[in-house]
Amino acid sequence: MEQPLLNRSEMIILQPSSLKESLKVLNENPDAEIMANASDLWPRIRNGEVRPKKILDISGLTNELSYVKKDGNVIKIGALVTVSQLEGESFVKEKRFSAFVDLISKFGSLQIRNVATVGGNVCAASSSEDFIPLFLALNAKVKLSSVDGERYMSVEKFLAGKRKLNRRPNEILTEISFEDPGPGYGSAFEKVGRRNMLIINLVNLAVVGKIAKGKIEDIRIAANRVKGKIPERAKTTEEFLKGKELNEETLNGAKKVFGEELILTDDMRASATYRKALLITILERLIKKIGGVQ
Amino acid sequence: MAQMLVKINVNGVEREVLVDPDDRLLDVLREDFGFKSVKEACGTGDCGLCTVLMDGKPVLSCLIPAFQAKNHKILTLEGLNNDPLMKKIQDQFREHQAAQCGFCTPAMEIMGWHLLNRKKEPSKQEIKEAISGTLCRCTGYYDIVDAIYDAGREQ
Ligand SMILES: Cc1cc2nc3c(=O)[nH]c(=O)nc-3n(C[C@H](O)[C@H](O)[C@H](O)COP(=O)(O)OP(=O)(O)OC[C@H]3O[C@@H](n4cnc5c(N)ncnc54)[C@H](O)[C@@H]3O)c2cc1C
Ligand code: FES
Ligand code: FES
Repeated sequence: MEQPLLNRSEMIILQPSSLKESLKVLNENPDAEIMANASDLWPRIRNGEVRPKKILDISGLTNELSYVKKDGNVIKIGALVTVSQLEGESFVKEKRFSAFVDLISKFGSLQIRNVATVGGNVCAASSSEDFIPLFLALNAKVKLSSVDGERYMSVEKFLAGKRKLNRRPNEILTEISFEDPGPGYGSAFEKVGRRNMLIINLVNLAVVGKIAKGKIEDIRIAANRVKGKIPERAKTTEEFLKGKELNEETLNGAKKVFGEELILTDDMRASATYRKALLITILERLIKKIGGVQ
Repeated sequence: MAQMLVKINVNGVEREVLVDPDDRLLDVLREDFGFKSVKEACGTGDCGLCTVLMDGKPVLSCLIPAFQAKNHKILTLEGLNNDPLMKKIQDQFREHQAAQCGFCTPAMEIMGWHLLNRKKEPSKQEIKEAISGTLCRCTGYYDIVDAIYDAGREQ
C-alpha cells in the first residue's frame, strides 16, 4: 500500500503565524502548495499524486480566517471555517438555508466534518466537493487576498476546470460570501453516493429558488456534473423554469430539458444513464420541496 | 528538508518530537510515543480507527500531518485510563461483549466518550450517528450501540 519513499520527505514546510506574513511568504514562494486542514491534499501527497516541493500551511490562521458574519445583506464565511463550525451557525437554521442542513448531514463523518474547511472544499475543485454546487446556486463570491490587495470573483469564474482555479500564484482564498436571497426563497441539496462517509458521490444537486403562490419566480440549479467534470449551473433548465407555474406539465418539461442539458459520460462508478436518471429525479424532488408540494 | 521539531501536548504531557515533513500524527503517536490504542487500517480517512481527540474534537490521525499537530492538545485512549466515564464505557463494552477482535474498540470508546460528554443520555439513533464514521468488521454494531447507551444511563 505504502508507496516507496518519494522526495516528499524533502518537502519544505512554511508555517507563518499571521495572514499578512503568509501572503508575504506566498509572494516569495509562489510555487508553494497551500494547505488548509489537509483532508483532501494530504492523501494526495501521501499517494504521490501531488509532489509539492513546498507547503504553505495556513491551518494555524484560525484567529483570522474562522469567522462567520453577516454584513448588511451579505453572509461572509472565512476560508478556514470547518463544516462542524458551520453546522452551529444561526443562519444555517433559517428555513431558506435548509440546503446547508441537508448538505452537512450528508458530509463525511464527524471526524471529517471537524477538519474539512469550506475554503478547502471550493479550492479542491473536483466533482466530489459538495459545497461547490450550493455556492454556485447561491451566486457566491470568493475573496482572493495577496500582497497586492484583495479582489472578488464569482465562484463560477474561480473554478476554471477540474483541480484548476483562476487564482494567481500569490493569492490565498480568504473568504466566501453570498447575498442572503431573502425570506421568500428556499434552498435544497441532495446527494447520492454509496455511503455518506465516502468522499466520492455519484451525483449531487443544489437548488435555490423563489416559488410563490405556485409560480417559479426565480430558480438556480447546480450539480456536480452538467457538461464538464466539475460542478456547474444548469442554465438552460433554469431559463425554462423561470416564470412558469409549478405544476405537473412544468415539471415534466423541466425533466426533459434538464435531461437534454446534461452531457454525462460513463465511468467506473456509474453509467451516464444511471446518473442522469438520479439527477432528474432529484431535481423534481428538490423543486417540489422548495415549492412546498409533495 | 531536515526534520522539524514539533511541540505537541499528548494526554496532558507537553512533548517535543522530531518529525519528517511527511509523517502523520498517527506515526508520531504510535511509533514515537508508543500509544498503540491508535490503530491504522485504511490510512485514507475511511475507517475511523485512527480517531483521536484534538482540542476535544474527534479527528483522524492518519489524515493529519504531524507538523499540523503543533501546539494542539491530543487525547488518546491511554490518556483516559483513569477517567470515570471511560471506565463505565469499558465496563459496558465488557458486559455487552462489544469487542470481538478489539481492533475498532479504542476508536469506538473514544467516540462514545466524546458523545456522552456532550449528551448524558443520547438516543440509540444519536449513538449510531456518532459512530457512523468508525467501522467494525466483527460485531455488527448492536452491542457497541447498546454498551454506549447503557454507559450513558448509568452515569
Ligand atoms: C474520508 C473523506 C470523506 C470526505 N467526504 C466529503 C464529503 O462528503 N463531501 C465533500 O464535499 N468533501 C468530502 N471530503 C473531501 C474534503 O474533506 C473536503 O474537500 C474538505 O472541505 C477540504 O478542506 P481541507 O481544509 O481539508 O482542504 P485541504 O486538503 O487543505 O486543501 C484542499 C485543496 O484546496 C487548496 N486550498 C485549501 N485552502 C485554500 C485557500 N484558503 N486558498 C487557496 N487554496 C486552498 C489546497 O491547495 C488543496 O489543493 C472527504 C474527504 C475524506 C478524506
Ligand atoms: S486509518 Fe485513519 S481513517 Fe482509517
Ligand atoms: S471488534 Fe473487530 S473490528 Fe470491531
